[in-house]
Amino acid sequence: MQAFMIGYRNTQGTLMRILNAASRRALDLSSVQAEAAEHDHQVTLVLDVNQKQVGQLYREWHSIADVIAVSSAATRTAPWTAPHPPLGVGVEESRAAARA
Amino acid sequence: MLKGADIVLKCLRAEGVELVFGYPGGAIMPLYDALEGSGVRHILTRHEQGAVFAAEGYARVTGEVGVAMATSGPGATNLVTGIADAKMDSVPLVCITGQVRSALIGTDAFQETDVFGVTLSLTKWSRLVRTIDEIPEVIAEGFHWARSGRPGPVVIDIPTDMLKAKKEFSGPVKFTPQPRPAEAKAEGGFTDTIVTMLQQSSKPVALVGAGAKLSGAIPQLRRLLDDLKVPTFATVHGLGAVPPQAPYYLGMVGMHGTRAANMALHETDLLLVFGARLDDRVTGDATRFAPYAKIVHFEIDPGQLDRVRPCDLPVIGNLAATVPALQAELRRHSLPDFSAWRALACGHERAELDPRGLAEPTIRFLDELFSRLPADNVVIADVGQHQMWAAQRYRSSSPRGFITSGGLGAMGFALPAAVGVQLAKPDTCVLCVSGDGGFQMNIQELATVHRLGLPIKMVIIDNKYLGMVRQWQQLFYQRNYAETDLSDNPDFVEIAKAYKIHSFRLNENVMREFPVSNQTGDEIDRFLQSPEPELLVFDCAPEANVFPMVPAGAALSEMLLEEEPSQ
Repeated sequence: MQAFMIGYRNTQGTLMRILNAASRRALDLSSVQAEAAEHDHQVTLVLDVNQKQVGQLYREWHSIADVIAVSSAATRTAPWTAPHPPLGVGVEESRAAARA
Repeated sequence: MLKGADIVLKCLRAEGVELVFGYPGGAIMPLYDALEGSGVRHILTRHEQGAVFAAEGYARVTGEVGVAMATSGPGATNLVTGIADAKMDSVPLVCITGQVRSALIGTDAFQETDVFGVTLSLTKWSRLVRTIDEIPEVIAEGFHWARSGRPGPVVIDIPTDMLKAKKEFSGPVKFTPQPRPAEAKAEGGFTDTIVTMLQQSSKPVALVGAGAKLSGAIPQLRRLLDDLKVPTFATVHGLGAVPPQAPYYLGMVGMHGTRAANMALHETDLLLVFGARLDDRVTGDATRFAPYAKIVHFEIDPGQLDRVRPCDLPVIGNLAATVPALQAELRRHSLPDFSAWRALACGHERAELDPRGLAEPTIRFLDELFSRLPADNVVIADVGQHQMWAAQRYRSSSPRGFITSGGLGAMGFALPAAVGVQLAKPDTCVLCVSGDGGFQMNIQELATVHRLGLPIKMVIIDNKYLGMVRQWQQLFYQRNYAETDLSDNPDFVEIAKAYKIHSFRLNENVMREFPVSNQTGDEIDRFLQSPEPELLVFDCAPEANVFPMVPAGAALSEMLLEEEPSQ
């Protein structure tokens, strides 16, 4: 099980789209907690996911118009869990891997 | 003071909209009441699905946002297939739906549906308008999301009382998106990495998808590919992005792709993907897709990365920026000579260009049609066997010249889409190729074609079966042709005449002469050159099949090239 924290602007349908990213993959929403967080909102989802799904979920959440940030409480993050590979670290890692 | 309906139309005009496709009804009636004098031309279709497919056709061929409108309830739900189609194929689309008046929302009122909820997973963005004050911002934001990044569909649901309400209107607004998480543009780092990968490879290939067209980077990509000269192939949506006469071009790849393309993709050690999402129709069995290759994936939508197979190097951004950067870097380095590999890949199979078997007359007919098209043409294909034959034989280098429902595979797409294309391109020869099954799904749009006098050239490949399903039943279900028999089709020629559209029939026997007779050639020329809408019904062999074919679950290298005797 893994906890995901998604920060979002609480506009129409945004929370539903966040939840739909999980439900369309037939993932049980074991725990859902949404609340105001400073100027915006945050929802914490606990999901039973595999490594590939983690990357897919990260990227799908980041593609939602009013999602601000995605993070996870997992001790090991999957590759490409950021919306894009970070400029510094990710590119170097990918370059090294590609040249391997 | 302006009504909400007037504000909607003024905001649409501010977004550059001149044409909308739709079908009226109760909840959206105030918007229709405001059309006259608004500067927005409305095209009445005969089904809301026809409207949304027409809007898609318009958007696909122009790159502009297509707009469809429908009333609440069943009007809105009839748009859903088109919205899903736009989502899958990255089509910029705005659908405006009427909704019951605000006080009735949630009461299961007459013609009320939760279209916002229904389309949530199919849209990039959507809104149920709550006040008249929101209208300008909602429309501006909706168009932004429809156009930006990977284009897609948007739904704006407007209660009827908001369309009737009045307010002082100071003018349309511009939408400024809120800051997003920082985007890594994979700066200069990716170019030298790719150069290194090319220098270390011996069998590189390039795959071109829809993103090449959507990015507007076709000229840049063609220059890059001309520099690389590696075996190159296209997805169905990438057809036309690479000139088919290019010596390194191998045609379409995937389930019904050419043997040359599929084998090159299977044997490659470096796959450069330009704007393709590696759909399962392209990859075959993902676990055995490009088994020896490193993958460099140029893609604007990070959500498309690593879906099917992890890539070794993602290059996130618009091809218009990333491709020139790569080309500039390539020109500073020398690359290995790939000519031997290119000769091997291109020589894998040329016989597939010669049609064989039951499908031969139909394929020759499509060849004849395509060869006689004027230079300025657009081909729209519905979904099925005819679609794959048309894609295999398509030879134009017009990037937006081949239009079809690819990702969703929605039958009934072609005829209404052709309406949108012809309206967008009034001087272009628009050829609409359908099967007898798909044509009947939106056959009512013949009325739209007739009313507007659109000179669309419609072809029905009539095999009296739901052909592609029948093919699968033949090959994989022991010829159990369950519910695919369409032998009791109506006479399409008579139906066209009832819609006051000239129509005629050709039997496939006329294509057994090669070259075709002067009479047949003249009939085809007359058909294509007519200033009126025309329907040509081509009777073809009921059990003709599409080959090559990669069976479901098979690797690209395991394609069927022709029918086994037992099949």
